[in-house]
Amino acid sequence: MLILTRREGQSLQIGDNIFIRVTELNDGSVRLAIDAPREISILRTELIEAAKINKAAAHEEASPTALLKLLRKKDSP
Amino acid sequence: MRIQTKYFGAVELAEEDVLFFPDGLFGFEEEKKFVLLPFSGEDDCLLCLQSVQTPLLAFATLNPFFFWSDYRPCPAPEDLERLQVEQSESLCYYAMCVIRDPLINTTVNLRCPVAINPDTRQARQVMLDSYDMRTPLPTINDPPSASPSSPSTPLSTEGGANCPSPNPKGGASIC
Repeated sequence: MLILTRREGQSLQIGDNIFIRVTELNDGSVRLAIDAPREISILRTELIEAAKINKAAAHEEASPTALLKLLRKKDSP
Repeated sequence: MRIQTKYFGAVELAEEDVLFFPDGLFGFEEEKKFVLLPFSGEDDCLLCLQSVQTPLLAFATLNPFFFWSDYRPCPAPEDLERLQVEQSESLCYYAMCVIRDPLINTTVNLRCPVAINPDTRQARQVMLDSYDMRTPLPTINDPPSASPSSPSTPLSTEGGANCPSPNPKGGASIC
């Protein structure tokens, strides 16, 4: 894995047509401007995980009513 | 309007029951309209987020404040802007469950709750910076962490700082 240090305002290039610029550093987060061809998919990694979890949530393995009963049990003092 | 649902057969709805998700849900970007239906009577502990467009698409969602009293969702400013609110407490939140067999292995996605503006009925699934996408259910012996006693209290819009604590009752009413 290549690890680079960049400062605010600096950029890097991947291949011929993907450009990534650090536009802002702020309190532990970094803002990036990405210039890439339209056909390149750019997704925050956690969104892929979130979509996977949503798909799992759409196919329950047990009855929601059974879960409700369990939750009520937890809910009562 | 009448829709077919995954769990309740045909259900009659008013137009104002519909929640609008302009960006859909993660992985379900084409699904723009949902309704929240209680699984059991008036009990809003577990609700069904049912697609209006796709009868077989529905999610079990719960009110996170019932079970995690210290839950403080803090969506990104862009999310608040899209939902046309200034602060997190103006929104209702519901967390989606992945129901497993055995039930005890069920997890709750506290990181990506569905946030709803109850005034406009605009909604979106948000990605928080904190909380786990696979939070285990609270254990049976845990005391209830939030007061379930006044679930239909309207939202409070009081509040303060940048990421203030939402009213624990905030997600409790069916929006």
